[in-house]
Amino acid sequence: MSQGRMIEAAFRRMPSSCPECGSSSVVEDDLYSQRQWVCEDCGSVVEEGLLTTLLSDETQGRDVPYHASTEEIKKPCRNLIAGFIRVRAMCRILRLSNDMESEVVSLFERAYNLPNFLHVTITKKEVLGGCCILCVCRQRNWPVSMGTVAYLLGADSSVIGTVYQELIKSLNIKATTTGITDLMESFCYDFKLGPQQVEEVLSETPQRLLDRMSALIELASDTWIVTGRQPLPLLMGSVYVAWQSLNPSARMKYSFTKFCKIGKAPEQSWRRSRDTALKRVSELLEVLCKLGRELPWLRGVPVEPKTVTTLVEDILKHRRALLSRAIQKYQQQLQNQLSETQTTECDDDPSESNRCEPPSSESSDQAECENPADEEATDCQLPPSHWGKSHLFLPPCVKSRKRQRVDVPQLEVTGDEDISDSEIESYIRSPGEIKLYLKAQKELKQE
Amino acid sequence: MEQNNSIPPFTQGLSPQGSMTPGLTLFSPMMPYGTGLTPQPVQNTNSLSLLEEQQRQQQQQQAASQQQGGMVAGSGQTPQLYHSQVSTTTALPGNTPLYNTPLTPMTPVTPATPASESSGIVPQLQNIVSTVNLGCKLDLKTIALRARNAEYNPKRFAAVIMRIREPRTTALIFSSGKMVCTGAKSEEQSRLAARKYARVVQKLGFPAKFLDFKIQNMVGSCDVKFPIRLEGLVLTHQQFSSYEPELFPGLIYRMIKPRIVLLIFVSGKVVLTGAKVRGEIYEAFENIYPILKGFRKTT
Repeated sequence: MSQGRMIEAAFRRMPSSCPECGSSSVVEDDLYSQRQWVCEDCGSVVEEGLLTTLLSDETQGRDVPYHASTEEIKKPCRNLIAGFIRVRAMCRILRLSNDMESEVVSLFERAYNLPNFLHVTITKKEVLGGCCILCVCRQRNWPVSMGTVAYLLGADSSVIGTVYQELIKSLNIKATTTGITDLMESFCYDFKLGPQQVEEVLSETPQRLLDRMSALIELASDTWIVTGRQPLPLLMGSVYVAWQSLNPSARMKYSFTKFCKIGKAPEQSWRRSRDTALKRVSELLEVLCKLGRELPWLRGVPVEPKTVTTLVEDILKHRRALLSRAIQKYQQQLQNQLSETQTTECDDDPSESNRCEPPSSESSDQAECENPADEEATDCQLPPSHWGKSHLFLPPCVKSRKRQRVDVPQLEVTGDEDISDSEIESYIRSPGEIKLYLKAQKELKQE
Repeated sequence: MEQNNSIPPFTQGLSPQGSMTPGLTLFSPMMPYGTGLTPQPVQNTNSLSLLEEQQRQQQQQQAASQQQGGMVAGSGQTPQLYHSQVSTTTALPGNTPLYNTPLTPMTPVTPATPASESSGIVPQLQNIVSTVNLGCKLDLKTIALRARNAEYNPKRFAAVIMRIREPRTTALIFSSGKMVCTGAKSEEQSRLAARKYARVVQKLGFPAKFLDFKIQNMVGSCDVKFPIRLEGLVLTHQQFSSYEPELFPGLIYRMIKPRIVLLIFVSGKVVLTGAKVRGEIYEAFENIYPILKGFRKTT
């Protein structure tokens, strides 16, 4: 045994009793690097070890790591403190209440000390703060979108997504998704369209805007425009259509960009998703057209996306009835078409079929006159046997399939077949090829 | 275990016929509705079950219409379910055995459940990931130099990426001798492909074996042919679903039994992944189909 060890062993024997008070409860209570044995009852130091270290201790002993020292217990680490400051700042920006803020801070502290968040990059720790805010807001039904949190942190929403999923899994949090209807109100109030801020003809109270917008969003949700899409471009598109429809004669001439500038919407949000917002506007107008055609007092006046904004108020007022009418009519047309094709198929005699053809074409003409947009309703892009043909309203991703999926005929194998040598040889380079390859590599390296 | 797995050099066929492939259980019927219906015994082991017959007929009809549209590839054969040759006559189910090919051990036997109970839709396998141990250390530089179909960039990734044409797959070959094979559309194809890669490595001069072939993951997809209300589904099945439209357009459903993850989209397309055997994918789809039908709103 080394010298240091022998001295250690000598000191390791426990003193049995305290010489001062005689009690036998003597414990080892070190004072920093000095070993001491202290009586629990009277507090006197019974024995103590060496204050200085031996050479063997210094060279062979292990350093105390930071996490085992007393320093860490007394003070939280710097990153945690910085995290608290950042989280509180974000809560103030989002105007959360005081108790929500304290809830966020305590959640952040809990999450920070979890093993899967303790040893991650600083970026991830910053994002963790934002995700805690998101969690608490969702639990309290306070609508905050991930996009907002991403903007505040300057991070990508995919990173936020991964950290958020990890957080709710590790802490077993049950938080519901923020629906688009929850985000509407705060979104509306972002637009500065009060009578003091813009001209009379362009101004709109947030409440009126909100009412019109919620009706539009409800209609969009019924006709498959909302599901599976990013909420922000749709909110932007619908607020634009809502604003226009509240005074169509004066406001139809303003483009989407102009509207965003008038309303002084935060520029980074609408600039980035302008194209998508315009696509949503066109989808919304298409749906409004389909319903507008069912208005009984129009009597055959063509309803176009460019002019439908004037009819929006009426359409939204009676949207339930118009929806059911449009769908019923569409189903009826499908039935008619089906029975027509069946009757023309049944005819074997050409003369009979000639006779049958004019009436069938007549009725199909009539059907077309009634609903000239039948071709638009069921997109020509879909093959005739596609199930989508039987639905008047379809999710746009079904309607506009860019590329047909071709199912490759399946290879039938058992897995244990013989493998021909020639096939394997075809995957191996010949010696000549190898030489050429090495030569080319050398030449490329020399360059 | 040794008898199946070692490859004597230059022999035909790597494992004896009829060996049990590891990790495959036969597809057991799930009766999730508690109807008390017991599966009917299959009449003739060489004929297809009712379900497969109907599916085959549907697919043949589709293939016929596709042929009119000029979209089927080359041979004009319909896409296959389980068995190899298909006769073009569509016989009524249960009449005569159409197939003389014996059932291979990989083929699951679906019992003749009535069509009204099951969905009638069979998920198609899209990708199989499997691993195998070649049992010897490999020199990746040599492999990359001497094989035509290999790429190796040690700064980017510490494995050789090798591809073969038939079955169309990709393999990652590591210097420890372990290999990952991806891209096959069936378990048999994956096994055949893994064996071909092992043969290539053998021919390059390494004493490669074929140990512990195991299917690690199977991915399937199908179409329920109606649009789905994802917002409704996430409300009623909150503990299993995660739907964040800001992050991903589909709903992620984590089924507990079997342990499968399903990606459900508004268009009605469903992707199932995480299966170790084919039956888990079918079971998971049969479980989710009645739930999805509940969210089919005709608008």
